[in-house]
Amino acid sequence: MDNTKTLSTDPKKSVGRSLLLMFRWMGKYWPLLMIAFVMLFFISYIRTITPLFGQHIIDVILKFSDEGSKLPPFFQQFIGADTVAKQLLLAGLLIVSLELFRAISIFVRRSITAVFSERVGYNLRNNLYRQLQNLGYHFHSHTETGDMIQRCTSDVESYKRFISDQIIEVMRLVMLVGLSIYQMARLDVKLMAISLIITPIILTIAIFYFRKVEKMFQTIEQNESKMTTHVQENVSGARVVKAFANEKFEVNKFKDLNRQFTDSDFKLVKKMAFFWSGTDLICFAQFFLIAIAGIIFTVNGEITLGVYLAFLAYAGNIIWPMRQLGRLVGDFSKATVAVSRLDKIISTKNEYADLIDQTKPEIQGNVEFDHVSFKFEDSTYHQLDDISFTVKKGETVAIIGKTGSGKTTLMNLMVRLLDYDSGSISIDGTEIKNIEKHYLRENVGIILQEPFLFSKTVEENIKISNRNSDENRMKEVAKIASVHDDIVHFEQGYQTLVGERGVTLSGGQKQRVAIARMLLKPKPILIFDDSLSAVDTETDKQIRSRLKKEWKDSTVFIITHRITTAKEADRIIVIDKGKISESGTHNELILQSGLYKHIWEIQSKIDFQVEDGEVHG
Amino acid sequence: MDDHLYDEENFTSNKIDWNVWKKIFSFMKPLKKQVLLSIFCMIVLASTDVIYPYISKFAIDGIINPNLEAGTRDLSQLGYFIILYVIFMVIQATMVYLFIIFAGKVQTELAFNIRQKAFTHLQELPFSYYDRTRVGWIMARMTSDSRNLSEILSWGVIDFTWGLFLMVILIIVMLIINLKLALITIAIVPILMLVSTYFRKFILKAYRSIRKVNSKITGAYNEGITGAITTKTLVLENSNYDDFNLLTTDIRKQSIRAAMIQGLYFPSVIFLISIATALIYYNGGNMVFNLSISVGTLYLFTNYVWQFFDPVNNIASIFAQFQQAQASAERIVSLIESEPDITDSEEVTEKYGSLFDYKLENFEPLKGDVEFKNVTFKYHVGEKVLDNFNLSVKQGESIALVGHTGAGKSTIVNLICRFYEPTTGVITIDGVDYKNRSMSWLHSNLGYVLQSPHLFSGSVMENIRYGKLTATDEEVIEAAKQVEAHDFIIQFEKGYETECGEGGSRLSVGQKQLISFARAILANPRILILDEATSSVDTETEQLIQNAINKLLKGRTSFIVAHRLSTIVHSDRILVLEDGKVIEEGSHRDLIAKKGQYYDLYTNQYSEEMLELSIQ
Repeated sequence: MDNTKTLSTDPKKSVGRSLLLMFRWMGKYWPLLMIAFVMLFFISYIRTITPLFGQHIIDVILKFSDEGSKLPPFFQQFIGADTVAKQLLLAGLLIVSLELFRAISIFVRRSITAVFSERVGYNLRNNLYRQLQNLGYHFHSHTETGDMIQRCTSDVESYKRFISDQIIEVMRLVMLVGLSIYQMARLDVKLMAISLIITPIILTIAIFYFRKVEKMFQTIEQNESKMTTHVQENVSGARVVKAFANEKFEVNKFKDLNRQFTDSDFKLVKKMAFFWSGTDLICFAQFFLIAIAGIIFTVNGEITLGVYLAFLAYAGNIIWPMRQLGRLVGDFSKATVAVSRLDKIISTKNEYADLIDQTKPEIQGNVEFDHVSFKFEDSTYHQLDDISFTVKKGETVAIIGKTGSGKTTLMNLMVRLLDYDSGSISIDGTEIKNIEKHYLRENVGIILQEPFLFSKTVEENIKISNRNSDENRMKEVAKIASVHDDIVHFEQGYQTLVGERGVTLSGGQKQRVAIARMLLKPKPILIFDDSLSAVDTETDKQIRSRLKKEWKDSTVFIITHRITTAKEADRIIVIDKGKISESGTHNELILQSGLYKHIWEIQSKIDFQVEDGEVHG
Repeated sequence: MDDHLYDEENFTSNKIDWNVWKKIFSFMKPLKKQVLLSIFCMIVLASTDVIYPYISKFAIDGIINPNLEAGTRDLSQLGYFIILYVIFMVIQATMVYLFIIFAGKVQTELAFNIRQKAFTHLQELPFSYYDRTRVGWIMARMTSDSRNLSEILSWGVIDFTWGLFLMVILIIVMLIINLKLALITIAIVPILMLVSTYFRKFILKAYRSIRKVNSKITGAYNEGITGAITTKTLVLENSNYDDFNLLTTDIRKQSIRAAMIQGLYFPSVIFLISIATALIYYNGGNMVFNLSISVGTLYLFTNYVWQFFDPVNNIASIFAQFQQAQASAERIVSLIESEPDITDSEEVTEKYGSLFDYKLENFEPLKGDVEFKNVTFKYHVGEKVLDNFNLSVKQGESIALVGHTGAGKSTIVNLICRFYEPTTGVITIDGVDYKNRSMSWLHSNLGYVLQSPHLFSGSVMENIRYGKLTATDEEVIEAAKQVEAHDFIIQFEKGYETECGEGGSRLSVGQKQLISFARAILANPRILILDEATSSVDTETEQLIQNAINKLLKGRTSFIVAHRLSTIVHSDRILVLEDGKVIEEGSHRDLIAKKGQYYDLYTNQYSEEMLELSIQ
């Protein structure tokens, strides 16, 4: 759908903003991250000290040189003893205790990071959920569910991973590389310089490569989703496939898509192979340089054997992480994309933003539409144009018209799922834009043509509008809505699960459950948006006559296609192309030669055939 | 196939099931060469990993130390070092390149094979399979399971081989160089193994449980989004949020716990290794001092201690992954091995070809006489839906099936389509038991129009063409014209290229129905099944649909699960069904005159209008 594209972003433009958001979403938890950084420093420091123990042991204890120890004096003082064996023992003990300290620090650091990222993730998930509930009709009708779910799950994961694992990893590598360079500089500046010659190249190649790979991933994902869509449609349309004997066609089509996906996947493998082997070669070339220079320096007496070996260790601390850093740069751009995608949801104005002067007046049920016009944001014409009418408390109004004429939109305006552009709608004299939205919806009930049932039990679904109502009342409303008999026929009766994991209700059953749940909480104004369309006319009639008793004081709007339903209303409003074309009672309207009469005639013709038993070829 | 197999949670067995793995390995047969080559690369790489520190030892003991001891500056040996190093580099890089290529080939092709096999098998499975299996379940087999499995069988196996050989070679080399130091180092391996396996198990369990909560959260988002409007109209925002909060709180607590357990693993391993390092320094240092080993050897051992970490970690994690992958394997095998309970017999296949390769030239023309002879039918579980049912329909006749839900209308249709077969009794088409002809024969002569039209993603053109794959554009358009769909189609911006799938939600229900009619009429079937929709469309579209239906029925044997009165009225014969039995039968006129059940059913439903008419 075209409008989903407006929700995707150009990642380049928003890097700065993404960073800001990343930080903002951390909320009050950011100090935990700082503590983790401090722990990281200790951890890296100890790690860069260990090679110096080797130097101390070889050069000083085993007397390969008289240049002295490079260990910080603080540590040297623990290793003083009279015999070599004792010195070695003390050195060993010191290594073990330092490593124990490091191990504990690592554990603490990981725990802190976990608490940090999970808390932040928890808040983000909850905020997203709340926001999705609060976003308006326009948003929900213009976004694909799958895309939104993807954002709320995998994008949240990407963000979480970034602020915990990836930021930490970057810091860890930066500290490790920095401290290693520092120690190398202490040992020998010339060899340090040689150790760093090729590393920038590795970093550059890695960054470049991971960027490229990112793009390949996108292609792969697209190919995979094409393939899975095919499977999805094949499975859910199995009847159609079989009935047209198109199995072979389906298999061949799948094979093409499967092949396409596999090949793009393998293309990535080839890139990977080239990168890892190539950079291996470059990395080892760097080690090679260090080794050659180190050997020559050692033989020339410029550095000691212990220092040379320590250098080999430090080189490892620097060279391998460069590739990692390259990947993390890629992860960063991935995270910024995730963040900006999430931001699109969070920063979209929800329907409760900028509401002022909200009141909660008592609602009786007098409704007035006064020159109301409405146009969809992405539309060029007015969906509703200059609609005016007045309805008194307790009246029943039927709204009839062709598909797309604007009936549903009209009703959506009343519960403010959509907001009109000009004119005004008022209830008991209060303009509805001034009425608090939740309060308005608590008083104006609407039953949709395709009502949504939650994947809970039937009982929970009915009681959802009023969790405190008792069992008897629940059964009573189910009977009024003519759905009780259906429900008790289910194996588990009212405890039957609705949805994928349970029973799939038919359209008519869903509509009747929706009516039952509305009945549990009486409302002064009620809207039936064609909400008995999937129920047969006989049951429809029975339900309506019972509802009339239940809701005798309520103002009722009924959108319908059935003349029989419309006929019973106090007034009928015919909508055609966004305007009221006719309005009046059934008897008045059939005297005018308008749309109503036309519909009535078509529908009556069908009935006529029943009486007559006449068959037209 | 037991129904419990369809549940994700029931695949948590811990024992290795060789039968399942054997079947999975059979998918790898065509990739044998690549598997062997990648294993070979890993063995070479394991060796170079052991040799690498040895090159440094050579530099220390062969170049540096002799010079230090003698006080000379002799670099004549450096040439050997350079040659050794360059050879090492070349072998290393080549092997890395090759193993990634080979393993990657295994991974991608294995996944391809599994998916292809699974999908092909899905096409062979009868409709009953789809009735009891959730779409999501099938999708998960095709995506995550095939991915998991192919990854573990390629990269996992590679890692395992490398780890195993590295350890073996390391141990042998160390034992050869110095027994005492070797024993010290090797002593930590079992402990490392124990620790690693213990943690892996724990972590796996923790994450499995987290994944469960996670999928609940995904479900909650799904409901939150698809049910957003309903939530708003019922003002359920707060109570939904509270439910959601329970889930996110749960996953937060569990994730923190899991991360802490995992956070314990790495430090414990480091600590263990540092103990070994200290022991090497202590013992080795003394040996160097006593001149019983060279300083190069000491260096070598301090390196080798750390080299145990990766392989042990790999092997432990692979065992854990294998356990997980076994669940994937079992599920895939269960899909692939689901026996289709409706198949063509061997003789039939021989004559008419298989589903995928049917012999059109052997297909007898289908005339359209359909007969149910003493048909009894019951679904997998449950009571008899049809009991000793008989029905004879002549070529070209249209039959309206009328009755309450559960009266047996859909069952009759499913049986005619051979989505299901009679439990006892026979169904004949043109006088021949339809089991004696192939399913393709029946289906290529069958048109099926669904209650809720199922369109595929793709253009309107492609969707109509689905009825007859060889149809030209002109034929497609002709079909659309016949059902009066052409007019609205060309009004779309992209005309016949308009998207129909999920993205094409701009098509109304009525329009989708007309497109599916065009698809059916293009197929030009001899038998037509029409499962009519109850859904409301506006009166004019209703007229279009009515006209289209009349066109469709003309000259074809047709069975209609009817809801529209006018359709019923137009049919040649009406069967009023109750509890799997025909309680009334005849034309509309006859049945109305009879004033029986049918009369009650319909005069009841339309009584008001009749009253209205009589007033006039």
